[in-house]
Amino acid sequence: MEFVQNLPFISIILSLFSGPLSSVLDGKKAKWVNIAVISIISVMSAAVLAYVVGTGRSFVYRMGHFPAPWGNEIRVGILEALMAVFFCVIMLLCMVGGVREREQQIEETKQNLYYVMVNLLLSSLLALIYTNDLFTAYVFVEINTISACGLIMIRQNGRTIEAATRYMIMSLLGSGLLLLGICFLYDLTGQLLMSNIQEAVRALDASGQYHIPLLVSVVLMSVGLAIKSALYPFHAWLPDAYGYSTLSSAAILSSLVSKGYIFLLIKIFYRVIGFGIVRESKVIHILFVFGIIGMIMGSLSAIKEKNIRRMIAYSSVAQIGYIYMGFGLGTLLGVIASIYHILSHAATKSLLFVAASGLTDSAGDSTDFLDLTGAGYRNKLAGVAFTVGSLSMVGFPIFSGFISKLLFAQAAVGHEIKMLPTLIALAISTVLNALYFMRTVIRIYTPERRLGNEKQRAVPLREQPAKSTALICFIVLNIFLGLSSEPVIQMIRTGLGMFM
Amino acid sequence: MNAIIMIIVVLFPMVSGVLVPILPFRSRRQMMIYIEGMTLLTSILVISMLVNQPTNSLILFRFTGDLSVSFRLDGLGAVFAGMVAVLWPLAVLYSFEYMEQENKEKYFFAFYIIAYGVTLGVALAEDILTMYFFFEMLSLVTLPLIMYTLTGEAVQASRTYFYYMVGGAAFAFIGMIFILSYGTTSVFVPGGVLDVAKVGDKTNLLLVIYVLCFCGFSVKTAMWPMSSWLPKAGVAPTPVTALLHAVAVVKTGAFTVMRITYYSFGTELIRGTWAQSLLMALIIITIVYGCSRALKETHFKRRLAWSTVSNLSYILFGVVLMSPLGFVGALSHMVFHAVMKICSFFCAGAVIKKTGRTYIYELDGLGRKMPKVFLAFTLSSLALMGVPGLCGFISKWNLAKAAVSSGNPLSYVGVAALLVSALLTAIYMLTISVRAFFPGRDFDYETIRDVEDPGWRMIVPLVVFAAGMFFFGLHPQPILKVFENIGAVMP
Amino acid sequence: MNGWILIPIFFPIVAGIFLLLSSFLQHLREVKRHKTSRTAVAAESEELRNIHILTAAVLIISAAAVLWAVWTGEKEATLIYLMKGISLYFKVDAAGRLFVTIASLIWVAICAYSFVYMKHEGEERRFFGFYLVVYGVLTALGLSGNLVTFYLFYELLTLASMPLVLHNGTRESIMASLKYLFYSMCGAYMGLFGIYFLFRYCGTLTFTAGGSLDMALAQDNKGIILIAVFSMIVGFGAKAGMFPLHAWLPTAHPAAPSPASAALSGVIVKAGVLAMLRMVYYVVGPDFIRGTWVQTAWMILSLLTVFMGSMLAYREPVFKKRLAYSTVSQISYILFGLSLLTPQALTGALLHTVFHAIVKTGLFLTAGILITQCNKTRVEDYVGIGKRMPWTLGCYTLLSLALIGIPPASGFISKWYLAQGALDAEVGIFRWLGPAVLLISALLTAGYLLPVVMKGFFPGKEFDADTDKLSLEPSMWMLAPLAVCAVLAVILGIFPSPLIQYAEHIASAVL
Repeated sequence: MEFVQNLPFISIILSLFSGPLSSVLDGKKAKWVNIAVISIISVMSAAVLAYVVGTGRSFVYRMGHFPAPWGNEIRVGILEALMAVFFCVIMLLCMVGGVREREQQIEETKQNLYYVMVNLLLSSLLALIYTNDLFTAYVFVEINTISACGLIMIRQNGRTIEAATRYMIMSLLGSGLLLLGICFLYDLTGQLLMSNIQEAVRALDASGQYHIPLLVSVVLMSVGLAIKSALYPFHAWLPDAYGYSTLSSAAILSSLVSKGYIFLLIKIFYRVIGFGIVRESKVIHILFVFGIIGMIMGSLSAIKEKNIRRMIAYSSVAQIGYIYMGFGLGTLLGVIASIYHILSHAATKSLLFVAASGLTDSAGDSTDFLDLTGAGYRNKLAGVAFTVGSLSMVGFPIFSGFISKLLFAQAAVGHEIKMLPTLIALAISTVLNALYFMRTVIRIYTPERRLGNEKQRAVPLREQPAKSTALICFIVLNIFLGLSSEPVIQMIRTGLGMFM
Repeated sequence: MNAIIMIIVVLFPMVSGVLVPILPFRSRRQMMIYIEGMTLLTSILVISMLVNQPTNSLILFRFTGDLSVSFRLDGLGAVFAGMVAVLWPLAVLYSFEYMEQENKEKYFFAFYIIAYGVTLGVALAEDILTMYFFFEMLSLVTLPLIMYTLTGEAVQASRTYFYYMVGGAAFAFIGMIFILSYGTTSVFVPGGVLDVAKVGDKTNLLLVIYVLCFCGFSVKTAMWPMSSWLPKAGVAPTPVTALLHAVAVVKTGAFTVMRITYYSFGTELIRGTWAQSLLMALIIITIVYGCSRALKETHFKRRLAWSTVSNLSYILFGVVLMSPLGFVGALSHMVFHAVMKICSFFCAGAVIKKTGRTYIYELDGLGRKMPKVFLAFTLSSLALMGVPGLCGFISKWNLAKAAVSSGNPLSYVGVAALLVSALLTAIYMLTISVRAFFPGRDFDYETIRDVEDPGWRMIVPLVVFAAGMFFFGLHPQPILKVFENIGAVMP
Repeated sequence: MNGWILIPIFFPIVAGIFLLLSSFLQHLREVKRHKTSRTAVAAESEELRNIHILTAAVLIISAAAVLWAVWTGEKEATLIYLMKGISLYFKVDAAGRLFVTIASLIWVAICAYSFVYMKHEGEERRFFGFYLVVYGVLTALGLSGNLVTFYLFYELLTLASMPLVLHNGTRESIMASLKYLFYSMCGAYMGLFGIYFLFRYCGTLTFTAGGSLDMALAQDNKGIILIAVFSMIVGFGAKAGMFPLHAWLPTAHPAAPSPASAALSGVIVKAGVLAMLRMVYYVVGPDFIRGTWVQTAWMILSLLTVFMGSMLAYREPVFKKRLAYSTVSQISYILFGLSLLTPQALTGALLHTVFHAIVKTGLFLTAGILITQCNKTRVEDYVGIGKRMPWTLGCYTLLSLALIGIPPASGFISKWYLAQGALDAEVGIFRWLGPAVLLISALLTAGYLLPVVMKGFFPGKEFDADTDKLSLEPSMWMLAPLAVCAVLAVILGIFPSPLIQYAEHIASAVL
């Protein structure tokens, strides 16, 4: 076994243990530890990715060398490694971009706690990505939930507490359903390792036994994860949680946490149940329908918003709708599109959050649209970044959003019945996205005509080096994804191939 | 390796546009020389490209898989590029005088020139994706030009503009995807690229998608019911309204519609179906609707904008006739209308610049004081009405000829609509000229004592356009030959 | 070398444009320095004389040239080749020759009249400028060799004659001129609609006696071609004042200066007649229309107009407006003649064209004299006028008789032919309805023209003949053209045979 193969495990452990370590440090040090850890893990994940791409095969890492069914396994393919790299990079940028807000909005004494949560979150995300064991996955889902709650709550104003409570309730409901689903499966197959379950399920399917229980289990797991990732009717917790928590939390939650669950769902579909069986069940139709409804309803809610943060939050609902619609199509292309959209949306949404905070800076931390008038002139970089993000959301060529739209549409064309609804939904959703994002862009470039708004002030570039760096990186990332998406898509394709 | 010139002509104006706000000009004069120089240089490059006729294609960069942004010059593209290349330097020249005493003009010119490159990109696009790419880019780079004055009205207009553009692109996108999946290739081929075997019995789906795509692209040509953005966008400075909203942007719409109809979907599958009838009905409505709105409008520029709405649908009418003749008609109206409408807009701009008057009832008697401007305006009105001897007649003749020989009863209605529209054009254009030249016996010329014709930089373009109207009206044969050669390869 | 028939066409146009430009320059100069001194006034009258001389010279030279050109044999010339099948092409033929000759004669007559008349209207450079341009355009219209060329000059005619209507610059006249413009444009476009279709089904638009419709192609598309032809009839009818597009005539005529009204009524409305003649007899061919609903509709429209025009004229108190309605009615005599599609009726129509041109010009010239000399516009104000201007009213009487159609004055001949043509034609009910309407209309004509004569010469007892004995006769420049018209109207009625032969020659060529 090569050394590189240890790295996934090491990265999970590293982030897991840096949590407790941070709890005894003071805020400043904890911050540096956190940043260092994320950077190291990024590098390690990149190494793993390079390795997997190089060998062209996935590998399984047995913890403690126990064989199944007792042992716990990590499985790494190209897709997992890609996700890990990507999540780390985004998280790093989010942390860097939100430094100032954290220092202002979180009590001095609780600073280090924040980093504890972030580290735990990272470890749970990595675990969700890598694990080959359904129960381990469940455990880390819970860790994920708890740390996410902490991230929301730590900025203490009334609304975050409420939001966190809501989030907690919904998430626990989701986890409960997921657990039930896992139990069903365990009952049916007697296995917990993904690859083993899949063999058993295949056998069951071939014999035609336990058809209904299997279906119920799939439904339970899908619904559970859908609730956790805020698919349309279950999104009520989201706007407040993203809208009022501190910047880094909002960015991380929106771009990573919900995506982690979706990735888990994809893994369950492919590696646990088998996509063929899922496709034959009606579950994906339901996901498809709710995905489309989400695309539209999320945007409609966003249009009504007067608060820029909440508007971006609602836009997440729409974007998650895209993702579900993608694998609701039930084709390989659809899933590729969804996974690509996970990446592209993560890059774009966190960019938008950071840029929006740059804009609100120049309006005395007011998130109201009226105060944002002309913000693009006062904080130039944030203005440009927000424009880039918006254009990407609207699906303008050269930005990442265009490619995901392209992929979704191409996937849709392959499906006879779902083709037209999908294409039209895409078009309508594009228009709706434009309605609120471009309205905001034009608003921030409209000069302020009311005099004496003392909240407004110019924010020069040098005042916020961290945020500027993050923004520039995000913009580059976005354009990179938009212009040379080919290698990424190739990786996703081969990665999915390794799932089978 | 002369194909490389295609990339140069697209990128060169973009780069020089970006440089405008960055370069340290010592005086306005210097900047003007730089801008005009760059524009002229681009035009010269374009023309040398048209002369050289590079035949091979060239890839700028790849998106994913075999989807790339690539260029190739063909007949239709050459006509469009040539048209744009002639108009742009003149419009820039005109803008120098128009934009005097405006601050921020740097940014204006920057975007103005970038838009040039993007428009050339549309013209040279080899496949539907590239075209879509530049189509979207064009919406984006023209947005700041509409917002330029930053008044409430301008902001409102730019918002509307952008919503319409994005909406249009969203539906155009559907068609593009369809072509990418169901076509044998995404490259433009005369006669279309649809793979008949793949389409099979899904003809209705094809038609639905074609209609959506057509409507999407023709948002830029302001087809009813997507036409209200164009008059609103009239708040932009006149050089923008004249060049972009009478020519570059809106003609891009027409151009893209031609591309998808004749080069992607192909006319054979669509001719004679409900899709053709539906679109033709919409277009006929637009032709009459635009004129009627123009008649009702009392704002000078907005009236011209409504007139543009109607005239653009002439082009679309030619397109949906789905015959080589219709194609030639559409193409000739595309080029000729550009000359006529830009001329009339420039006249409106000259009036605004010299007198600050924007409503038609304020124009009394100005013809005596600004004879050159109003003569040019009258000439363009006559051309738009389709008086023989001027270019408007030729293009209308071609359109009508195509419509009459198509044998489709709806297209006869279209011919009637063309003429109703011509009558309305006569009414709304000539009332302006009459007002300007014959203000009535008791008009007091003292009220407009200090008004005079603008300077040479505004007059030269007008003279060129007036000459153009006569030239194309009296000697259209060479250019029609070119159009016919392009149309001849259509099945 | 036939090309030089273009010269008399373009010479007056260029000269007219030159005058217009000079009017512009003059205006610009005026604005710079206000002229009040006496020398300036003197210079102005000097200038005016020069304009008159220039106009007269241009007009006479080109009229002479064009007459000489058209009466010395068939000629043709292509100016520009526009597109496949379309060129600007001129050709002299019998019908065109007739039209050009009338136009030239009347134009010269009116020109002399306006030298005096226009003094009180002002802006003479502009008036004579457009006057010359219109003359060139009319010549070109008469000589046009195909429908596109014809259409070009038809539109130009509208555009160039419009400024004549709005000449005096009151709000009312500007509105009237716009009404004229839009009605004519509407008509022209309806005509163009037909032209598009004829181009498709005729293959060529060159005027060929008897028409050039491709019968094989036309049989399958009879419906649409008939619609196209009907649209052209209604459209070109606008200029000829045919119902339903007649309404501009009574508005434009009173608003225009009298020479302009004379020109409009005498010649310009005949352009509509010429258009129909050309279209029906030289492009579509009478055989295609005969017996179809189009012919019926055409006859109904023209008879309706004949009757309606006379009725309205009868009820109209304003003199010039009355004459305008009379034009509406009389032109439709001609159109009725055209619509019958028989040689005799066509002859009648052509004769009536000539006679009406002369008579109506004369009548409007009279109206102009009455208006300038008495400053009164309504018919009831012309009581006792005969005593003060016997020559004018005498001429008027002759002209009225000619228009009513009392032998031996000219109107009788043409009406005779028209009625004969109707009786001979295979048109069912219209065989007797047509002549009946013509007769009623003739009675009405007498009813609206003669009261002026009666009241003028026999004012009755209440009229105080002593109020003002001063003669109101105008200058010779105004009276002479009027007298020429009156005399011609009678002489042509007494010696009509050369004209009849000529008209029959045209008719036999096309039928």
